[in-house]
Amino acid sequence: MRRAPLPEPAADNGMGDAAMALARTTEDVAVGNEIVRERLSSRLVHWTVALTFFVCLFTGLPIWTPYLGFLASLFGGLHVCRWLHPWSGVAFAAASVLMFVQWVSQMKLTPADRQFITPRGMLRYFQYRNQDADVGKYNGGQKMLFWAAALGALGLLLSGVVMWFPLQFGQPLREASYLLHDVAFSLFFAMIIGHIYLGTAAEPGTFRSMVHGTVTRSWARLHHPRWYREVTNAQRER
Amino acid sequence: MTADGLEVRQSSASVRGAKTELRNLKVVSKLIDTSTCIGCKACEVACQEWNDLHIVPTTQTGTYQTMPSLDANYWNLIQFRERQIGPDFAWLLRKDGCMHCADPGCLKACPAPGAIVQYQNGIVDVNPEACIGCKMCETGCPFDVPRYSAATDKMAKCTLCVDRVQVGLEPACVKSCPTGCLEFGDKTDLVAHANARVEQLKQNGFAQAALYDPPGVGGTTVITVLAHGDHPEWYGLPKDPRVPTSVRVWKNVLRPLGALAIAGSFLAMVGHYLSFGPKKPKDGPETPRGDGPP
Repeated sequence: MRRAPLPEPAADNGMGDAAMALARTTEDVAVGNEIVRERLSSRLVHWTVALTFFVCLFTGLPIWTPYLGFLASLFGGLHVCRWLHPWSGVAFAAASVLMFVQWVSQMKLTPADRQFITPRGMLRYFQYRNQDADVGKYNGGQKMLFWAAALGALGLLLSGVVMWFPLQFGQPLREASYLLHDVAFSLFFAMIIGHIYLGTAAEPGTFRSMVHGTVTRSWARLHHPRWYREVTNAQRER
Repeated sequence: MTADGLEVRQSSASVRGAKTELRNLKVVSKLIDTSTCIGCKACEVACQEWNDLHIVPTTQTGTYQTMPSLDANYWNLIQFRERQIGPDFAWLLRKDGCMHCADPGCLKACPAPGAIVQYQNGIVDVNPEACIGCKMCETGCPFDVPRYSAATDKMAKCTLCVDRVQVGLEPACVKSCPTGCLEFGDKTDLVAHANARVEQLKQNGFAQAALYDPPGVGGTTVITVLAHGDHPEWYGLPKDPRVPTSVRVWKNVLRPLGALAIAGSFLAMVGHYLSFGPKKPKDGPETPRGDGPP
């Protein structure tokens, strides 16, 4: 785990959150009751991916099915969606590349992660029966999501380019792209629904790591015990 | 033929499908008898005139053909093909343009509601206002007919002069044909007429003469008499045109399955929340443990 030299926690002057201030530049450090989980740059990249994803989603859905055609009026009609969708797709793909580069080194699956992502492991996780002390900063499911999102974004980008300029490509490639874009989108969206649920309603205290960059110690102990030990032990040793 | 026939039978990206068929309205047809076409291109000119299309710069291909293929500003093109058939030389002329399929692949592939409509009389029409210029129709069409115009950002193709047909006139191309190789009318009548013409050709030494009304796309509104009916590809017509399987799978299988996956994921998360609720730390709210400021 990368570890920046730990600055002294800013004195609590009652005008700001010390942990949050630290989270602008640093992550994986404990400050008081809080632990900085995602530094500002990580959060900005993730938010860019999220926002461009939603623009792609809401401009794509009315093209995907007429049942959701009403969504087109959010942007001023289907013509605007048809124009905005590929450009927001380019932005989404670019942001996804940044996100990939930023997190890829932390996403290698450990043996424990491989246990976690078996059907049995996932079932235990969703039934809150996992007492897996070996979960690091990202659990096996999160790492799988990372790789699936990277693969999905790549598939959406490649098929999307063909759909954007169909006349530059042959009929077989066009047909394959329409199918691939459809499948990739459906699975991607289904997965992101789960991702958002776990990051908000299912696990209170998670969403603040996306906003403020910090989590509480008890949250870290519960969801990422090995990461918690690593962060706190390192600090004790200092 | 009156405006009755202009009730919509199918509409692209339509939620309700719009298949009424309450009344059995007549289906129109245009018959192209390629054996009597002389390649005068009167139909090309009439089409340009009536539809107010502007001529586009053409490419000389070494034949009499006006341009290599159809254009967003050129919906009716006589194709000239030379072919050695046994000892004989044949000059195969065909009028290329929208076939107005009973099962239109363009309409199937189109994501813009109402951009492509099929009227009860069988005409497949384009509504440029609704067209979003996505070009998906070009992938759906087995005849390579729809053409995208970068200038208008719209698709364009033959409308079978629907504006003339709805007031009881024949299409402009039919009106202008000097040999009578183009005819317009009720499809049942024209198919009978075309079959009689095929018999005539057979007696005149074209044993393989046939009527081209491909069943793979449910038949076409534009039907073609071919002297060499066993080889439609000699005329540049696909042998067994069908709406691409991928387009059917995409719209009929993948889309509902995708919707199911998305709805399933959403419902699973709601179900999970109701059954298990949020996952909270068991040790309650954070208690200071002496390793941080109180």
